[in-house]
Amino acid sequence: MCAITKEQVFEAVSTVIDPEVGFNLVEMGLIYDAIVEESCNIQVIMTLSTRACPLHQMITQWVREAVEKIEGVGIVEVEVVWEPEWNISMANDNVKKALAGI
Amino acid sequence: MFNVSKETAPPFGMISPFFWIGSSFYLLATIFLLFLNPQHGHFDLAIVGWLHWFLLGFMMMVIFGAMAQLVPVVLEVGHFSVDLYYIIWPLLLVGTLVMSFGFWVNPFVLPYGGLLVFVSMVIFLYDTLMTLRKVTNITFTVKTVIASNLFLLVGIIIGFVLSLAMGSAVDIDINSWLGVHVVMVLAGYITLTIMGLSMILLPMFGLSHGFDETAVQRAFVLMVSAVIAYFVATLLAWEIGKWISFMMMLASVSLYIYQVTIIYDTRARKENDIWVKSMFVGYASLLVSAVLGFVYALTFSENFLMGAAWFLIVGFFAFLVNGHLYKIIPFLVWFERYSPLVGKQKVPMLHEMLPKRMANFEFFFSTMGLVIAGIGIVISSDDLFKGGVTLLITGAVFMFASVRWMLDYGIKK
Repeated sequence: MCAITKEQVFEAVSTVIDPEVGFNLVEMGLIYDAIVEESCNIQVIMTLSTRACPLHQMITQWVREAVEKIEGVGIVEVEVVWEPEWNISMANDNVKKALAGI
Repeated sequence: MFNVSKETAPPFGMISPFFWIGSSFYLLATIFLLFLNPQHGHFDLAIVGWLHWFLLGFMMMVIFGAMAQLVPVVLEVGHFSVDLYYIIWPLLLVGTLVMSFGFWVNPFVLPYGGLLVFVSMVIFLYDTLMTLRKVTNITFTVKTVIASNLFLLVGIIIGFVLSLAMGSAVDIDINSWLGVHVVMVLAGYITLTIMGLSMILLPMFGLSHGFDETAVQRAFVLMVSAVIAYFVATLLAWEIGKWISFMMMLASVSLYIYQVTIIYDTRARKENDIWVKSMFVGYASLLVSAVLGFVYALTFSENFLMGAAWFLIVGFFAFLVNGHLYKIIPFLVWFERYSPLVGKQKVPMLHEMLPKRMANFEFFFSTMGLVIAGIGIVISSDDLFKGGVTLLITGAVFMFASVRWMLDYGIKK
């Protein structure tokens, strides 16, 4: 049985910051799910704010590296999906307020 | 799934010359305006020479540099051969200098400059068209890239023949084919390229989602039809056909502006940074240009034509290009110097890599200069025009300094 929780994975990914907007991927709502298997292999399911993101590969690499820092973790896979399409309603209130200049 | 890797992204050293050469040409172009008189009309060789200096040395240079980075992003495939960009800028640079010398001093060198520019663009087109062959996902932007590059091909062939004609090597009706050359390059290439890229870049930077794209799709069809119609009308020497195609272009531009307002309204990112402000002035200039173009179509007054061209080229084109430099250069510098350090040490955010005060000065002086000189052109006031140009030069100095500042960011750290 793996002791790593989904919350730990999200916490690890929250260290990854989008350099364009300055917010971390979790508060942006870009991380859809984290599946922790019994073997401690982890699959992160995420999206990006645009399909044309020029940092696509680097961001997924940063997410993988951040999760790999969790103690006892097995193989980490990052899957980028486009459904559901990201929109600002998925971000947390702090991000919405900051982007809206409130 | 598409990835832009280190391998498909162009090396920083390859693209940075496009930007500092482009901003140098922009600065010098604004200074050269002091020696022009817009009342001489659009056939004046001094004005034609300035246009080539501005459009080739600044616009095309920056667009080509930006395309080196943007092609993998918008087409979702890697370049056919990104190394070709190493020879594009030297050919375009020398060709532009020779062509400008030809227009201003000695027309006999025009074909030589024209040939160098022609070869640089053929190389650019070769890479772009070969890259397009790898594309499987035909998006709206891909369609605009295909159409605009085909128009560019026709435009530069006609331009090269014109340079031969002006160098007295070929006998053609220069006035008629000059119109086709202008329409192919300005409407067919630059406007369609901006139309296509903006549908990626505006939502990306503004975080706009879920908006209707019908308006821009109709604008695209109208613009393509209008450019082809102008070409056919010239072949048939059908003046009303040219007028109709001109009105179609205005309708296309109106629909495109409407699309931009839709994207603007749906953006999540409300901050009005230097990029947003530059876009605002750029699109406002396009609207002013369309209105002045409409008045010209009714009155055939040269002042309105020159005013429309001023707001299109120095307003719309220049503000969109300069505005995007504030996004593109920090990203490229960050990607080159800081992306390998992510997770290992604190890295700057992109907005920290902007010279905000200098950029705001650039925006203020450029906007004031654009408007005052534009009014000077329309009401035939040389004093107003020269006064506006002085402000524009001040803005260009700040632009040049900002570009250097951004390119050098982090070098000493």
